[in-house]
Amino acid sequence: MKNLKPGREVVVAGVGLHPFGRFRDKPLANLALDSVIAALKDAAVAWKDIQVAYFGHVYYEGMSFGETSLSKLGLTGIPIINVENACSSGSTAFWQAYWGISSGVFDIALAFGAEKVPGGPVSVTSEDSPDRYIGGDHMMAGYALRSRRYMEETGATPAALAQVTVKARQNASLNPYAHRKDTYTIEEVLNSRMIADPLTLFQCCPTSEGASAAVLCAKEALTSYHIDPKRSVNVVAAALTSGSYNGHGSDHSAFSPYRTEPAALQAYEMSGLGPEDVDLVQVHDAATIGELQQLEALHLIPYGEAWAATIEGRTSLNGDIPTNTDGGLLAMGHPFGATGVRMIHETVTQLRNEAGDRQVPNARVGVAECSGAGDVTTVHILTK
Amino acid sequence: MSSSIDDTRLIICNEEEVQGALVGFKCSDCNVVVFGPATFCQSCTSDNLITITFDSVGSLYSYTEVKVPPHGWPGEVPYILAEVELPEGPHVLAELIDIHHEDIQIGMALKLALIPVEYGTTGSTKIVYKWRPFQTSELN
Ligand SMILES: [Zn+2]
Repeated sequence: MKNLKPGREVVVAGVGLHPFGRFRDKPLANLALDSVIAALKDAAVAWKDIQVAYFGHVYYEGMSFGETSLSKLGLTGIPIINVENACSSGSTAFWQAYWGISSGVFDIALAFGAEKVPGGPVSVTSEDSPDRYIGGDHMMAGYALRSRRYMEETGATPAALAQVTVKARQNASLNPYAHRKDTYTIEEVLNSRMIADPLTLFQCCPTSEGASAAVLCAKEALTSYHIDPKRSVNVVAAALTSGSYNGHGSDHSAFSPYRTEPAALQAYEMSGLGPEDVDLVQVHDAATIGELQQLEALHLIPYGEAWAATIEGRTSLNGDIPTNTDGGLLAMGHPFGATGVRMIHETVTQLRNEAGDRQVPNARVGVAECSGAGDVTTVHILTK
Repeated sequence: MSSSIDDTRLIICNEEEVQGALVGFKCSDCNVVVFGPATFCQSCTSDNLITITFDSVGSLYSYTEVKVPPHGWPGEVPYILAEVELPEGPHVLAELIDIHHEDIQIGMALKLALIPVEYGTTGSTKIVYKWRPFQTSELN
C-alpha cells in the first residue's frame, strides 16, 4: 500500500443538500443543482470561481450528466468529471476534489452527487448475467449472509441488529432532510416484512432520490476567495481503496468483509489521528449489519462487540461513538451518487456545531466511511 | 443437450447432465486458488494459472432465506441462498435445495447439485449449480 502524502492543506468551505426521498416530478438535474447552489451559497463562493467539478452518480441518465446539470449555472469551460464508483461514487468525487487541490493543481473545487434509484432489490450485474439464475447477486441477501455469520460468531441478537434501525430513525426524526423520519421500536423493526432473513424491510436502506454537494478549497487560498475560515472544516485524511484477494472470493465474513480496514489505516496514518480521537462517525449502513461491521473495521469498537455497544447506547447521539447522526443510509435513504457527499455534509454540519437538535456536543473530529460494490471504500477524516 | 449456465464456473461432465464440477484456477506462483474465470491471479497478478476442478462437497458458511428475490430470478420464492466454503478455500454462492429451513445448520456438509433451468424467453434450458444436503451414505 502506497503511503499517501498530502501536499497543501484542504478545507471544506461549504456544503449543500437536497432532501432525500421521492421527487418524481423533479428532474435529477434540478435536484443536483439545488444542492450545488446551496453549497456555493454556504461557502459564499460564485460558480464562476470554481475551477473543477467532480460528479458522482451510478444510474445512466444520459452522457456527461455532470456537464448537463452544471451547464444551467453558466458555461465556464472548467473540467467536469463524471464519477461512477458504485455506492462510493459521491465520496470518490470528494476524494478526487481533495487530491486535485492538495496536489496543487486547483485552488477550489466542487464535489457533488445525485441519484434517482429505482425501487426494488438492487443487483450489481446486468439482467442477463448467469448470477441472476444462480441467485447470488442480491445486495440485501449479501448483507443477510454477513448478518447470519456475524450472529453465529459473536452471539449478536436480532434485537441488536434492529436497534441500529431504531437509533437511525431517532436521529432522522431530528433531521429535516431525511427520507424516513418516523420512529420505530425494536419489535416493529423485527416485525416488518422479511426481505432476506434475518434482515427485515426496516433493516434495509430505502433506495431514494437526492443530491449533495461540497465546495473544497486550499486553506492558503481562502482569503483570496473571501471565504470565512471560521466556518471552514479541515480535511485531514482522504483514503480510497479497492479489493484485495482474501482467499475466498465471495466474502460475507463476520469481521471486515469490506475493504474498510486498509482504508481506515491509511486515513489514520495520513491524519496522525487514531480511533480514540474520533468524536462522531458516518458509516455505510446500507443494512443494519453494515453499521456494526464498519464500526469494527474502523477500529472504533473491538471486533465482535459493536452489537453489544449498540444495545448499550454507545452509538446514539449521547453515546461515546455517535454514529450516523443524520439517520444514515437506513433513514436518510441511499441515492448512490449522493450518499458519500451527504456524509460529508453531516460531518461538516456537526463540526460547525450547526446540527441543531441532533448536535453532538464538542465534536472536533469526524469520520465518514462509504463502501460500494467492487470493494470500493473511502474513508475521510474531517476536523474543526 | 443443455449447456452450463456459465462454463467458466461449471463444467458438465456427462451426457445425462447430472454430473459436473465447479472449476477455477490455481496460481503456480503463489498457490492461491480462485473459483470461476481468471486470466491473472487475484492475489499476486501472475498469469501462470492452471485450471482445476473443485471437490463437490463443501461446508455451509452462511445462509439466508430470500423472500424478495432479485429481478430476473427464475426460481421459486422464497429460496435459500447458501454460501459454501470449498475444501480448497473459495466460497461459492448458490441456492440450497431439498432441505427444510429449520434443519439448516452452519457447518453442515453440502454437495453440488446440477439442475436444469429455463433460460431467457426462448424455451431453452441451461444447467445451474445448486447445493443440497450431503448424506454420508453417499460416500463409497
Ligand atoms: Zn498468484
